[in-house]
Amino acid sequence: MTSKTMAPKSPTSEVDSGPPSPAAPAPRRRQRIVWWAYLVLAPSIGLLAFFGYYPGLSGFYYSFFDWRPAFESEFVGLENYRRMLSDDVWIQAFGNLGIIFVASVTLMWVLPLLAAELVTSLRSARLQFVFRTLLIVPLAFPGVVTVLLWGFIYDPNTGVLNELLSAVGLDGLRGNWLGDPGSALWALILVQFPWVASLPFLVFLTGLQNIPSEVFEAASVDGTNRWQRFVHIDLPLLFGQVRLLFFLAIVQVLQFGFSAYLLTGGGPDNSTMVPVIRALDMAFGASEWGYAAALSTTLFVLILVLSIAALFVRRSEKGNVDVG
Amino acid sequence: MSADTATQSRLRSRRRRASASQSGVILALSVLAGVGLFPYLFMLLSSFKTNEQFYQNFWGLSLPLEFGNYAVAWQQVNPYLTTSLIVAAASTIGTIALGATSAYVLARYRFLGRNVLFAFVAVLMMIPNIASIIPLFVLVRDLGILNTYWVLIIPQVASGLVLAIILMKTFFEGVPQELFDAAKIDGASGPRLFRSILLPLSSPIIGTVALMTVISVWNDFFWPLLTISDDSLRTVPVGLSFFQGQNATEWGPLFAGYAISSIPLLLLFVFLSKWFLAGLQGGIAGVAK
Repeated sequence: MTSKTMAPKSPTSEVDSGPPSPAAPAPRRRQRIVWWAYLVLAPSIGLLAFFGYYPGLSGFYYSFFDWRPAFESEFVGLENYRRMLSDDVWIQAFGNLGIIFVASVTLMWVLPLLAAELVTSLRSARLQFVFRTLLIVPLAFPGVVTVLLWGFIYDPNTGVLNELLSAVGLDGLRGNWLGDPGSALWALILVQFPWVASLPFLVFLTGLQNIPSEVFEAASVDGTNRWQRFVHIDLPLLFGQVRLLFFLAIVQVLQFGFSAYLLTGGGPDNSTMVPVIRALDMAFGASEWGYAAALSTTLFVLILVLSIAALFVRRSEKGNVDVG
Repeated sequence: MSADTATQSRLRSRRRRASASQSGVILALSVLAGVGLFPYLFMLLSSFKTNEQFYQNFWGLSLPLEFGNYAVAWQQVNPYLTTSLIVAAASTIGTIALGATSAYVLARYRFLGRNVLFAFVAVLMMIPNIASIIPLFVLVRDLGILNTYWVLIIPQVASGLVLAIILMKTFFEGVPQELFDAAKIDGASGPRLFRSILLPLSSPIIGTVALMTVISVWNDFFWPLLTISDDSLRTVPVGLSFFQGQNATEWGPLFAGYAISSIPLLLLFVFLSKWFLAGLQGGIAGVAK
């Protein structure tokens, strides 16, 4: 791979023996045609065209077909999309996603924010470092290990949660957490509780640590207590980060599926079904490739529209306080 | 005088209150950290137990430690780790080689279509992998590379390249022009400037991109699940999800296998903590740009 990218550059030294024209900082200099720039870029552009653009576009194209890879595919117009609108499982998947989204921008922010406030309240820099590290160590474990460990916590027979309930004399509350349609979705949401080993925590912590200490000194001269400081100083200054996290949460929740696939597979009774699993099921389980292409195209368009919307929100509100 | 002592005692009581509240903060943080770390501590304790010890002493440490579990687990996890290491190394080299050269050209040279080409790259930021995974699968199947290292490496490089180019371009644009001017007076050519000036200065961004790639390989699940059916080519995430099925009744080796699979990322976290976190947050930086 290395040799491929370096190769186009070797002729450069012969043809373009003089100093190459520099970038932006010196626009008035005579333009030399840096033709080898295209050669350097070619492998990357080619790779992205073939493995980035082509699959996305072909998915869109074949979403209008009864797609049978390697065979003749029949054009069906909007049939796949019409079917999608009356697919109860698909609609339920979005309902579940709504619950997951609300949880991920409330529950999954509150504890990280609290933890970030607590860490910045520590007076010793050493302790700040120790706790920050202890709180984020779970991020250093492979996601699959974390999810499988939580699967064990919920195990109906020897799981940690049930053993804990028995140990404190609450045998009656033992449950099949992932196997019961009533609790499965909440069990999935509670994976990784207390959610402190997460991007929101790192973002909140950086944001709080970047608030100039003069601000706090000024506030404490005015007799501001910790709660007032949190409400009137920390929260407004964190607002820029919150907006960014909100946007990230939308994009991430739409792609939610990894833990659900491992722990419940979307069951029981579709109570943990999410769009990603539905699309994969349709393609790899039911071999309904055209329909699956329509589902993933829809997912893609949703993410794209929301990303662009978030981008415009960011643009128009620029100039706001943006710490970090 | 009396006013002075009054101030002093007020200061002292405030200090006492402050140290009490510090203890409260430490206690609360310890609880949060303890709850967060509990699953991993439980995994570690249980990985040293025989099944009998596991059922008899569910919560505590059981002696003697059953190191044999690790030998059993190693036999099973070893191929997954090997595949993940090879894929991570190859993807990292590929992403950095392509990303750095492309970013260099985009950042430091002017040519027709430069902005268009950069937009071509950056727009892909918006396309989530999961949305194109189905047509991508059909593509690699048509290419006949299912069940090979290529199917794990090439799409990984393609998807990692987007953010790599964006981050590296931003970094390279920040390198002062004077450094390049000085070297050019000495007659250095474009590739020479890249090798001798830019690369030595770029270890922070190269480290970030490398860690981003390794973390992504170690966590990617659906793609290797769908494209690899040969057990010896399974990566850690997929391997472990099957491994769980094989060891349903042998808890010790199961947890030992989880622990072994976690070691590489933990080592990176301990020794390259700064880059590790930068790699994790790379996504945010890319979005914020």
